Amino acid sequence: MQSFHIRYRNTQGTLMRILNAASRRALDLPSVQAEPAEHDHQVTLALDVNQKQVGQLYREWYSIADVIQVNSGAPAIAWTAAHPPVGVAAEESRAAARA
Amino acid sequence: MLKGADIVLKCLRAEGVELVFGYPGGAIMPLYDALEGSGVRHILTRHEQGAVFAAEGYARVTGEVGVAMATSGPGATNLVTGIADAKMDSVPLVCITGQVRSALIGTDAFQETDVFGVTLSLTKWSRLVRTIDEIPEAIAEGFYWARNGRPGPVVIDIPTDLLKAKKEFSGPMKFAPHARPADAKADGGFTDTIVGLLQQSAKPVALVGAGAKLSGAIPELRRLLDDLSVPTFATVHGLGAVPPQAPYYLGMVGMHGTRAANMALHETDLLMVFGARLDDRVTGDPSRFAPYAKIVHFEIDPAQLDRVRPCELSVVGNLADTIPAFQAELRRHSLPDFSEWRAVACGDERAELDPRGLAQPTIRFLDELFSRLPQESVVLADVGQHQMWAAQRYRSSSPRGFITSGGLGAMGFALPAAVGVQLAKPETCVLCVSGDGGFQMNIQELATVHRLGLPVKMVIIDNKYLGMVRQWQQLFYQRNYAETDLSDNPDFVEIAKAYKIHSFRLNEDAMREFPVSTETGDQIDRFLRSPEPELLVFDCAPEANVFPMVPAGAALSEMLLEEEPSQ
Repeated sequence: MQSFHIRYRNTQGTLMRILNAASRRALDLPSVQAEPAEHDHQVTLALDVNQKQVGQLYREWYSIADVIQVNSGAPAIAWTAAHPPVGVAAEESRAAARA
Repeated sequence: MLKGADIVLKCLRAEGVELVFGYPGGAIMPLYDALEGSGVRHILTRHEQGAVFAAEGYARVTGEVGVAMATSGPGATNLVTGIADAKMDSVPLVCITGQVRSALIGTDAFQETDVFGVTLSLTKWSRLVRTIDEIPEAIAEGFYWARNGRPGPVVIDIPTDLLKAKKEFSGPMKFAPHARPADAKADGGFTDTIVGLLQQSAKPVALVGAGAKLSGAIPELRRLLDDLSVPTFATVHGLGAVPPQAPYYLGMVGMHGTRAANMALHETDLLMVFGARLDDRVTGDPSRFAPYAKIVHFEIDPAQLDRVRPCELSVVGNLADTIPAFQAELRRHSLPDFSEWRAVACGDERAELDPRGLAQPTIRFLDELFSRLPQESVVLADVGQHQMWAAQRYRSSSPRGFITSGGLGAMGFALPAAVGVQLAKPETCVLCVSGDGGFQMNIQELATVHRLGLPVKMVIIDNKYLGMVRQWQQLFYQRNYAETDLSDNPDFVEIAKAYKIHSFRLNEDAMREFPVSTETGDQIDRFLRSPEPELLVFDCAPEANVFPMVPAGAALSEMLLEEEPSQ
C-alpha cells in the first residue's frame, strides 16, 4: 500500500478526475481523505499499486488541469519531472512495465 | 443587458468561432433563439453524433477548435462517442450542452442527464455553469484547455434558465492558467544526451505521430529528418507529416503497417518518437516492442510517457520548441554513417506489400482513385478494412490530408466529419471512404450534405460484411462469421437517390484490367471533379483481407503477409 498526496485547486470535478485515474485501473480506494490545505486542497489516497501504475498515475494526475503537485510515500517525495519518482529504480520500473 | 444565450454567442465569436454544428432541443432553445444575427453560423446535422463528428472534422483539418451544440439528456449523451474520439485523437473540441433549469437539477427531470458526470473521464476539462456570471469565464477557460497543451475535448453544460437570464455584459474574458511548480518542460540538456545516443547507435529510426501536425512543427520536423536521414515511419495520424517520396520514409507502422516499417522498428537500437502515444496498434506485444532499442520520446503530454516501457530519455514539450533545439545541437556534431542500415531498411526487398495483396481489385480501385485526386485533397476514412487499405495506399504530403478515427476507431465517423472538412475547405476535393457497415451508422448525414450542397465525394467499399471483424473471425475464430454478415444491405445507390444525391456503382470487374479501361477511368475522373455531392459504391469481394497484419498480442516482426490456415 502506498500513499499519495495530491494538491489541487478545488474546482468542479477535479477531485473526481483524481479518483477516476485510480478507478479506471480498477484500483481499490480503501482510504481517501480530502481537506483544505492553505489556499488549495489536498487529497491523500492509499493505493495498492505496482511500480508501473505509480508512474502512470503520477503522470495522469499531473495532466489534470487543476492539479498543482503530486507527492508520494512517507516521507513525501515531490515529483517535479516527467518521470516517476526517484525512488522507482529504472530496472524495477522496466521490469514492471513489461509485466 | 444581455441574455445568457447572447453572452455565450459573443464569447464564442471572441474565441474566433464562426461555425458551430448542432441539433436543437428543449433545454438549449434559448441559444438557438439567439443565433440569428450573432455572427455564428449553425450547421444543422441530423443527429448529435453527426454534429460532434462534423465539429471534429472541422477541427482536424483546420487545427482550430470545433464546436458542437446539443440539448440536455439524449442530445448530450449522443455527443459522448465524439467526445471520447476527440480525447483519444487529441482534437480541440468544445461541446456546449443545454441543461434542465437550475432548480430541477438532481430531480431526474425530463431530459435531465448528469452530462458533467457522464463525460468527466472523457474530457480534458468541463464545467456545469451555476450562474450567468460564470458564462464568460467558463467559455474562455474551456477554449484555453481545448487548444493548449495536448488538445482535447471540453464540455460546458448550461442550464436553460441561465441562457434566458439577463445581465450587464462587460465583454469576453481571457483565461490565464495558474503556474504550477512542476510544469515539466525539457531544458536544453536533453540535446547532448540524444546526440550521444545517436553517436552510439548503429540502427536508429524515427517514428512520427499526430503530435507533429498538432505542434505545427512540420517544416522543422522535415528539416530534422532530412539531416538525420534515418529510416522513418509514421502512425496512422502521422501520415502526411513526412513526404512519402523521402528516400528514408517507410510508410505506416503497426498492426497494418508496411513490412519495411515494422521490420525496421523491430531491429532498431535507437527509436526516436516524435509526438506519438505508442498505443497497442503501433507496438504489438509491448513486451516485444522494439526489443533492442533505447527510446527517446518527444511528447507534450507527460501522461503519455513510459506507458509501454520506460524511455531512455523523455523530452517533454512542444515539438516546435524541442526539435529546433535538437537540430541545432545535431549540426554541431558529426554522426556515424547510417547509409548501410538505411539501405537495408529501405531496400526494395522490404519495400512493398505482398504482390498478391497489390493485385486485389479493391487496392487497385483505391490506387486509381487516389492517383486521380487533385493536389491538396483531403481523404477521410471511416473504420475498418477500407480504413487500413486507404492508410496504406494514400500517399499524401499534406499533414492534414488524411483524417480518420484512429484511437477510438468509431465507425460512422467519416461521413459527418467530411461535412466539417468540406465546410472548412470549400474549394478542396474531400473524399470520404467508408465501409458498408460504418456508412449506415451515420447515413442520415446524407441529408446534411444535400441541404448544404457540399461537393463531398463519398465512396462505400461494400463487401457486405463487417469486414475487419470478419477478417479476424476468419483468421482467429475458425471462420465463425458470427453476426458480421450484412448481405441484406440496402441498395445504397437508391438510398442516395432518395436523398437527391447522384450515385453509381462500380464492381470489381472494372479493376481486373490493368491499366483500367478509359471508360472506368473517365467515370472516376468525372466523379472526383463533379461540383455536386456524389456517391460511388464499389462492390468488393466479401472475403478480401488487409495485409500485412500483426495479430493481436504478436510482435511486429510476426506480421502475416497472407492468409494462413485457420488455427
